[in-house]
This record gives sequence, structure tokens and C-alpha cells, in this order.
Amino acid sequence: MVGVSVGEQNFIKGGIAQDLRTDGRKRLTYRDIYLETGVIPQANGSARVRIGGTDVIASVKAEIGRPSSLQPDKGKVAVFIDCSPTAEPTFGGRGGEELSSELALALQVCLLGGKSGAGAGINLSSLLIKEGRVCWDLYIDGLVISSDGNLLDALGAAIKAALTNTAIPKVQVSAEVADDEQPEIDISDEEYQQFDTSSVPVIVTLTKVGNHYIVDATAEEESQMSSAVSISVNRAGHICGLTKRGGSGLDPSVILDMISVAKHVSETLMNNLDSKISAAEACEDES
Amino acid sequence: MAAKQRDAATTYSPRIIARTRPPIFKDSDLDWTRPDGRGFHQCRPALLQTGAVSSASGSAYAEFGNTKVIVSVFGPRESKKATSYSDVGRLNCNVSYTTFASPTLGSQGTDHKEYASMLHKALEGVIMMETFPKTTVDVFALVLESGGSDLPVVISCAGLALADAGIMMYDLITAVSVSCIGKRLMIDPVTEEEGCEDGSFMMTCMPSRSEITQLTITGEWTTPNINEAMQLCMDASSKLGDIMRDCLKQAASASDE
Repeated sequence: MVGVSVGEQNFIKGGIAQDLRTDGRKRLTYRDIYLETGVIPQANGSARVRIGGTDVIASVKAEIGRPSSLQPDKGKVAVFIDCSPTAEPTFGGRGGEELSSELALALQVCLLGGKSGAGAGINLSSLLIKEGRVCWDLYIDGLVISSDGNLLDALGAAIKAALTNTAIPKVQVSAEVADDEQPEIDISDEEYQQFDTSSVPVIVTLTKVGNHYIVDATAEEESQMSSAVSISVNRAGHICGLTKRGGSGLDPSVILDMISVAKHVSETLMNNLDSKISAAEACEDES
Repeated sequence: MAAKQRDAATTYSPRIIARTRPPIFKDSDLDWTRPDGRGFHQCRPALLQTGAVSSASGSAYAEFGNTKVIVSVFGPRESKKATSYSDVGRLNCNVSYTTFASPTLGSQGTDHKEYASMLHKALEGVIMMETFPKTTVDVFALVLESGGSDLPVVISCAGLALADAGIMMYDLITAVSVSCIGKRLMIDPVTEEEGCEDGSFMMTCMPSRSEITQLTITGEWTTPNINEAMQLCMDASSKLGDIMRDCLKQAASASDE
């Protein structure tokens, strides 16, 4: 937890009210985003995102699994987040568990879409290999290395980049087998397929401090927040998920206003991220 | 006004919003009814009772259609976890399902931790935590039968149980959910509808302050849809708040006699 004195508190709040924050940014400006892909060789895809002092890594691992009986025509995706004690001593032991599960839940809400798959960042049907028998299980793991606010947006961006970086081996299902038998599969080591990540939404968190809200809050600014709304927006400008943090209530009109601001901000963020991701991918291909 | 409310008691359907423009799509491809024959903006009948568990400081039982939930509140009492001093109270939430709550086996123990954390987030903004320093209030919810919209029912029922326990709150708390299937918005979805929804929208609010304490949206939504869902939820919430208030008044007058 950051210790902020009363003087500093007033400085932060006053700055936000005047649209000039302590680090010189405006209310709706992001810090510089640094993005790197392919950082973990063991994973099928990975990315590291640094936004100011916030540093996160996301990795995607794919494993052959079995579709659940309730949804035999879909693969499975699971999101786990780990908050490393290197980020903050309080994350040691079970201390980070609460934050980890909160972040994982928020990411699931923001990225995985509705029950029917509408608005999902990942098309679960594309993970299917043979209906009811074999599918890919995607494990998305996020690791918080250093925390300086705005973890959810950073993790969302890292997951988007990691998914773009992901290559899944092509799979051949051997000729027809009896219905109740597990079919034999042949995993290719040469041919890989990539995901279409154009529909993966970006997450924009608007943190309300005083009467105003800001994007990309630092840890100090977050300590002064009354509530925060995380909105995930896809390329079409549709809302794919929304969660709220923080105790204090919000007026419905404020939330609608936040949604329209988030939509506006998400456009620039999405373009920025996409160019960063393709630059990082090109850089990785060269090396 | 209050008498009129009581006549129509136990349902909290919002009033139908008059559409200013004709629908773009004819309803031919959406020509289906809801599994329980309700209208799209019609809620299930709600039955609320306080004092369901005698050993608890406060408790409530809620029955919204097939969804049956019991919530008991204990405390404020000594914190079980020996943690450091805190000048505001703590809230501890737990949501569990009975083994016979849903028809599918083995569905237990999956998403209830997240339900518990969502219940916690919904309640923490409403309870005046500073009124019980150093102590903990425990909220235990048990879903007896799961029939859809479980979490909103649990939250509303928990709000009633907290009021029954005499915990200081800024307002009663109500939660309503809306499902989006195709172009249709339907309030208070049942399990079948939740299984095939394109998006879900759950809103927790304080009805008399019309303040949103928690909001969760999943799936794909356009802004007009969010607008409409929010209006539906606000209206339903204020009506549900009236029903809850009546329920508390009845319990109070019964104990006076």
C-alpha cells in the first residue's frame, strides 16, 4: 500500500481537477506503453507489457483436452493471474490471492464474452478439433512483476499481445473411429496456425478521483479513488464487458458518460497497441 | 400509493418503456416466448421473508420463481482471523449451493468463490462499516434451488437479511439482471435463458438514492442496449425496494403485536 500524506493527497486531487496530473499527463492520457512479445520460450505465446512502473507478463499455453459435456462444440479457456511478491511484499504467501482472483475474474468478464460466445475475444469454436472428443485448452497466465497502478489494462494488453504471438500446432485427426472411442490425433511440429485476434477487446479503466475520472492511474492516484470502472471495448466499438471496483456508488448517468469516454479512448489505445504489437512481432521474427 | 403497491405485491416488473421509434426488425425471427411464459419485461413473482434462521442476528428467505435462497447474517462479532486493528468493520461473505440446487452433478464448488467476492463488492458500498469497528459481519448465503439469476437474488436477499439484523446501511440494496438474446432484452432470466444468452447485465443499486453500487456486463453490448437495460434495472430495482420495505415493515409490525 502506498503511503500518501495529506499534502500529497490534496496535490493529486487538485491536479486531477485542473487536468494536469502529478506526472504532467492530462486526465485521458496514457503513460508510454512498452511491449515485447515472445518472452517465454516454453509457452505457445507470450508478451510483456510495461506501462510506467507497472510491469506484467502474460503467457498462453495450449494443451489437448476434452470439451465439457455442456458445450461439446467449444474449446476451453482459463485465465489465471499471479501477483508476485516482488511487486509488493504484501503479495507474499496468501496476501496476493484476493487481488489475483479479482483480476482474473475481471479479465474473464472482459475478455471471454457471453455464454453464447457473443463479444468473446477468442472464438471458442476455433479451438475445437473434434466435436465432443478433442479440443484445445488454452491457459492464459498473467504475472504481475511490478505494480504501479492500472494492472487490469496492462494485463488486458499483455493478453492481447500474447494471443497474437500464439502459434498452435496443426492437428490431424486420424480416420473415423467408433463414436465412443477417443480418436487418435497427430500433432504437427512444423505447421502452426495463428489466432485471429482482431476481435480481442482492449480494457480501459476509468478511475474516479473526486468529481473527475482519469485513465491509467498510478498507484498513488489509485489510493485516492472512490471507484473505478473497467470497460472492455472491441474494434467495432461494442462493449464486451464491464466491472466496477471500489465501494462508493455511481449515478447511472455518470456510468453512461464513462462508457462513451471509454469508447473514445479505446480507439486510440487499440490503434496504439496494434501498431506496438505488430512492431514487436516483426522485431521477434528478425532475431 | 402504498396500498396500491401492496395490491400488486410480489412482483417488481418495470413499466414498459414506450418506444419512440418503430423496431427496425420485425419480430418474426424472434417469435418465441420465454420458457415460463412471461413477457420480456416481466419479472418472476418474488416472495420475501425475514427471520428464516432463528440463531442468526438476521436472516431472510427469498423465492423468485424457482430460485430459492436463504441468507443469514451473523454479527457484528469478533473477527475470526486474528488480523491487525481496524477502525472500520469487516465484511465476510460466503455463497454456497446445496448439492441438489441444480440438475447437473459436479457443478458445485466452481464459481461460488467469485459469487462470494461479487456479493462482497456489492454490499461493501452500502453498509456503514465505520459503525462496527474491530468486528466482523458474516453473510452466509445458501442457494437451495438454482433457477437462474442466482446472484441478483442472493444480493437482494442479503440486503434484506442485513436490514433484519439491524446493521446500519445507507439504503436497502437490490440487484436485478437482464439478459440479451439477439436483439431482445429480457429481465430476470431463468437458467435456460442464461445458458444461451449473448450478454448479461447485472446491476446492484440503492433504490431510493438511485445510485449504482455494482455493475457487471459480459458479452457484446451496444450503447443503446446498455441504456435500455439500465433503465429497466433502475425501475425494477425501485419496485423491488418497495417490496422489500413492505416485507420489513410487516415483520416489524408482527413483532410489535
